Amino acid sequence: MAINRKRVVIVGDGAAGTIMANKLRFHSTPEEIEIDVFGNSERHYFKPDGVQIPFGFKDPANSFKPTQSLFNYGINYLKANIRKFDLENSTVTCEKNRTFKYDYLIIATGDRFSTEELPGYDKAASHFYSLEASMELRQKLRDFKGGKIVIGQASIPIQCPPAPYEFTFQLDQYLKLKGIRDKTEIHYIYPLNRVFTIPNVSDFIERLMEERGIVIHKMFNVDSLDPMGKKINSLEGETLDYDLLILVPPHSGQKIITENGLADNSGYIAVDRNHLNYKDYDNVFAIGDATDLPISKAGATAHFQSEYLANRISNEVNGNAYFEAYNGDVACTTITGGNEAITLFFSYTRPPKANFESKADYFLKWTSSDTYFSAMLRGIM
Amino acid sequence: MDEVKPTKVIDARGSFCPGPLMELIKAYKQGKVGDVISVYSTDNGTKKDAPEWIKKSGNELIGIFDRSGYFEIVMRKSK
Repeated sequence: MAINRKRVVIVGDGAAGTIMANKLRFHSTPEEIEIDVFGNSERHYFKPDGVQIPFGFKDPANSFKPTQSLFNYGINYLKANIRKFDLENSTVTCEKNRTFKYDYLIIATGDRFSTEELPGYDKAASHFYSLEASMELRQKLRDFKGGKIVIGQASIPIQCPPAPYEFTFQLDQYLKLKGIRDKTEIHYIYPLNRVFTIPNVSDFIERLMEERGIVIHKMFNVDSLDPMGKKINSLEGETLDYDLLILVPPHSGQKIITENGLADNSGYIAVDRNHLNYKDYDNVFAIGDATDLPISKAGATAHFQSEYLANRISNEVNGNAYFEAYNGDVACTTITGGNEAITLFFSYTRPPKANFESKADYFLKWTSSDTYFSAMLRGIM
Repeated sequence: MDEVKPTKVIDARGSFCPGPLMELIKAYKQGKVGDVISVYSTDNGTKKDAPEWIKKSGNELIGIFDRSGYFEIVMRKSK
């Protein structure tokens, strides 16, 4: 073992943790850097498929892989949950009270569904943000004979912000294929005074929704649910009844992050927006959905952040100067229905342009789980 | 403005849309009727979004004030 070998501890085995570990392995040798990943998931699910699985547009069998199989050679995957972070002493401690020292710590713990914030959610709503929920919703949609569907999100932020409109467009397509679109009202609710966070994309999406007869309710911040009466109430005083409610659950950062004093009650870690380090610690970083950065919570975000961090850490370990910064890069391909999609590229300072839909973009989206598992997650691209 | 003392101040400077508005809504949900909530922001979109939300939600916009390098939106929770 090299005398100056450094240990990088990555907490989290989701998209961010896995891409980070695999990219760092490509950028360094095991003699230079030991990479230890902590996590405890059995399988790694490709979440973007959730907008297609409920309609039977995609086979869920290809949407997940065993987590352990996804780490490149030369990475230690330790199946354990970290419970304590001691940044002063550069250690983390797992649930079995084993403590591990690190030279660099990368927190990639993601976020969680905080349904406790919205009483009645579990009885009232369906969603498509996990494989299990998508499968349950698939059955509900198969049984659906027509009526009123209300679709939206309980709050901001959520993972993959375009997913609610992607789902809505495909719901429209699915109901047409099923021959019950004329018997169904689709009502789309959104917390802001538009239908998506970014204004110019919102204008584009709103036009498509209007063309397809989707009823839009802007500034609808979900206040409460009435599962028995099948009603959803907004803070702004609006009430909608429904036959089927599809509502992305409220999201929060992980409790363990708040419990360790790394974030406020939101659970999202404040990091430097260009260098991703936590407070004044130059060896502690957070990436992916775990941060409070004002960008999309998406695998593509973690992908770009990992590229920056892998370069930075491998250069530092080898004594090289590294002057690059993460500039908020995100890219995502989102389905707009009718077997078409749009691809958005943006950063902190460059808003995306939504000009046209294409079948090529849809093909890109349709094959993205294969690309994800074989190349993106592996750190190859 | 000087005579209105905020019950809660949210410093959302540096946060992009919709961050400041969502912070304001969060404070609204946690507050009580009569509370005065102030949000500091550097995001120009918030200057349009927040007053629209305050109006739609039936609350009172006390004012939008230019400060040095940021602006302040002040509302009163009316219901």
